[in-house]
Amino acid sequence: MGRVVGIDLGTTFSLIAYTDAQTGEPKCIAGSNGSVQCPSIVSVDENGKILVGDAARARLTTNPDRTIYSVKRLMGRGVADVQDELKIFPFRIEPDGSNVIHVRLGEKTFTPPEISSFILRELKSWAEAHFGEPVDRAVITVPAYFNDAQRQATKDAGRLAGLEVLRLVNEPTAAALAYGLHKRKRGYVAVYDFGGGTFDISILKLISTSEGDIYQVLATNGDTHLGGDDLDNALMDLARKEIEKKFGVALDPQGEQVQTLRKALIQAKHELSSTDSATIKYSLGAKGTYDRIFTRAEFDALITPIVARTMAPVKLALADAKLAPKDIEEVVLVGGSTRIPLVRKTVADYFGRAPHTELDPDQVVALGAAVQADILESGVKTMLLLDVTPLSLGIETMGGVIAKIIPRNSTIPASAEELFTTGVDNQTAIDVHVLQGERELAKDCRSLARFQLKTPPGPAGLARIEVKFLIDANGILQVGAKDLRTQEQHVVEVQPSYGLGDADIEKMLEESIEFAEQDFADRQVIEARTEAESILVATEKALRDTGAAGIDADERTSIQKSAADLRAAIAGTDYKLMRTRIDELNAATNHLAETLMNGALQTAFEGKRLDDVGD
Amino acid sequence: MAITQRQQKTVEGVPAAACWNCKASVPGGAHFCGTCAKIQPVTPGADYFSFFELPRKLTIDPGMLEGKFHMLSWKLHPDNFVRATEFERNLSLQRSSELNDAFRTLREPVGRVEYLLDFLGVRKEGTTKQQAPPELLEEVFELNESLDELRDARASGGDIAALRTKLEAAQKHFQGLLAEVDADLAAIARDWDAVLDANAGDATRSALLAKMSDLLNRRAYIRNLVAGVNAEMAA
Repeated sequence: MGRVVGIDLGTTFSLIAYTDAQTGEPKCIAGSNGSVQCPSIVSVDENGKILVGDAARARLTTNPDRTIYSVKRLMGRGVADVQDELKIFPFRIEPDGSNVIHVRLGEKTFTPPEISSFILRELKSWAEAHFGEPVDRAVITVPAYFNDAQRQATKDAGRLAGLEVLRLVNEPTAAALAYGLHKRKRGYVAVYDFGGGTFDISILKLISTSEGDIYQVLATNGDTHLGGDDLDNALMDLARKEIEKKFGVALDPQGEQVQTLRKALIQAKHELSSTDSATIKYSLGAKGTYDRIFTRAEFDALITPIVARTMAPVKLALADAKLAPKDIEEVVLVGGSTRIPLVRKTVADYFGRAPHTELDPDQVVALGAAVQADILESGVKTMLLLDVTPLSLGIETMGGVIAKIIPRNSTIPASAEELFTTGVDNQTAIDVHVLQGERELAKDCRSLARFQLKTPPGPAGLARIEVKFLIDANGILQVGAKDLRTQEQHVVEVQPSYGLGDADIEKMLEESIEFAEQDFADRQVIEARTEAESILVATEKALRDTGAAGIDADERTSIQKSAADLRAAIAGTDYKLMRTRIDELNAATNHLAETLMNGALQTAFEGKRLDDVGD
Repeated sequence: MAITQRQQKTVEGVPAAACWNCKASVPGGAHFCGTCAKIQPVTPGADYFSFFELPRKLTIDPGMLEGKFHMLSWKLHPDNFVRATEFERNLSLQRSSELNDAFRTLREPVGRVEYLLDFLGVRKEGTTKQQAPPELLEEVFELNESLDELRDARASGGDIAALRTKLEAAQKHFQGLLAEVDADLAAIARDWDAVLDANAGDATRSALLAKMSDLLNRRAYIRNLVAGVNAEMAA
């Protein structure tokens, strides 16, 4: 078994973390450029190779038709659901007649779980490089308000990335874990999580028992389409309108130009968190330059309605928890958007206290995931997370009305049993439609799944099939059925309303193995090149060394030839060839190395400094 | 409705079973085997009260219940069974969902009564007859009239202030009735507990259960009224 990690698969940034066995503290792992944040951006290059993170981000402006950002907004949703998103996000969705989303990136199309799996793979490689060992299990976080389909899509992404998903943990709860570990506080806590694409509010009770600490979620609410992206879009809207008015240029929301503008606007947004004004200089080529100063006051006015939208779920969650704002003893801020002064002020004013920001709002979710991963892996039982399901589970009854069977904010795992029977004589199949949501009518709720109960023909009302609905610790629904007359367990084949069936996943898993092999090869190439370069540098230095005077011309030529061969090899991509040439150069320089070593020892005995010699 | 044969006079009405692992005898409803400590399947027929090792009394100290809930959560939660066999993981899933369902039901006084009646076969949940209690008929009629008037006035842009005031009075009145029903339920809950302590006969119990059922019907009806008025006022 390999190592276990915690992963924050975010809309804008993703992070990976682990718990240090020595200190018991969670830590984020950095990528090769030293940053712990991996932009949740995926691009396909001209050779069909998948690029993730910083490498992909650069291509947002150069190859926007082969690059995608904020794929989390598409997870667990059908083509019909995302039509509104398409107006403001440049998602290139293939119109193939099915409801499953296929995004076109270059020559190929990918489903959102596949794209997310590329991001997970990238993070996985960071961790494996850090540990020097394989990583095969992870706790992955999801917005608390994610529904069943969105959770299942996340689990699918993990599987496609070669990770066993030990648990899906809600983001605010993960943050509470990291925060609780940090502060050891007790009492009522509100976690306000304003990320790149989603907003969550969770109300928790932190309790100290003789066994350890319990993190009990009392209520959760949110909006899975409310985040920093919306702030960016508001700025973008304004800028595009002004540009059209002033310059007569209508920028295509799906084009390249707009991505450069977006980048500049995001930069300004970040600056405005610490300054009173920020300037944008955006070139429109021959038409001129859009030179605009944004003031803090103006920005605040622009984003006030968006920030106000976050307060509605906050009020609902507090009502469900049967608490008033003043009852909350600690407020924790999570997510990059909580750096914005207006957001902080709004939250502080509402709860009547300053919110906590000691833990990096960008890292805290990943850290919490690592803490949960450690709990599950090590079996150390000093912390227990009791989370809830965010949406009521219901079944459609006659007339399209929903009968709620598991209420929202029920602690999970949670279950309900329903008895089904036939409505007409000789009916052999009973259709069950399961939905999530708070509305009264099925058409206003989110369809989760459908299944059929088979029963032998008989008079209406004779059949008695007991169906058990169970929401597991991941917040995902499982269904079991028993015929009460025969005591037989039925296998229930649940057709998810959105997303991928098992057969789809299997097919993708096969394809993902190709990507895995490609990744493996890439890494080998990079490692071989790195090693080759350092040997080449050392060889040249050694040849210039005075101690190398004793090497004869033939040997020198032979060394130089091996070095040249190695240089030729690293210009290519065949890592096996590179390894062979590395070995050859090592063999060729053996004698040289010995000579220098002897010389060094001699010099040492003669009182010269050893570090004058060699490296 | 008559009480069915299912009613048990004692808490431990569920028979003992053999542990699936070591075959030792496990008392009915026990969470773990006393001999090998393996988690046991949820026993059909065991009720939520016995899950918490409580008698079927309707007065429960909330702090005590929560303490038991936390203690059992530590023991039964799937987090403890990540490394266990799939069979045990499944048992943990079943038992911990039972725990959560039981806690959710028993923590609310009304939920407790509903559950008791359902378990004893006196009243099937969700089969409330939505009929107005006779003494309320006139008031309900008036209320519906007022609501209609308000809706019409809104639609035609008429004066709603006076109508709102009238409805506010109705709102207060029905909320008061709801509070009364809750108080009645609390009183009858205490009666029930006394009856259990005194080990009273079937007839006494039946009478109390029937009364509880009526109160629940009345409560559901009034609560729907209050919800309706609240919704209209908030609109």
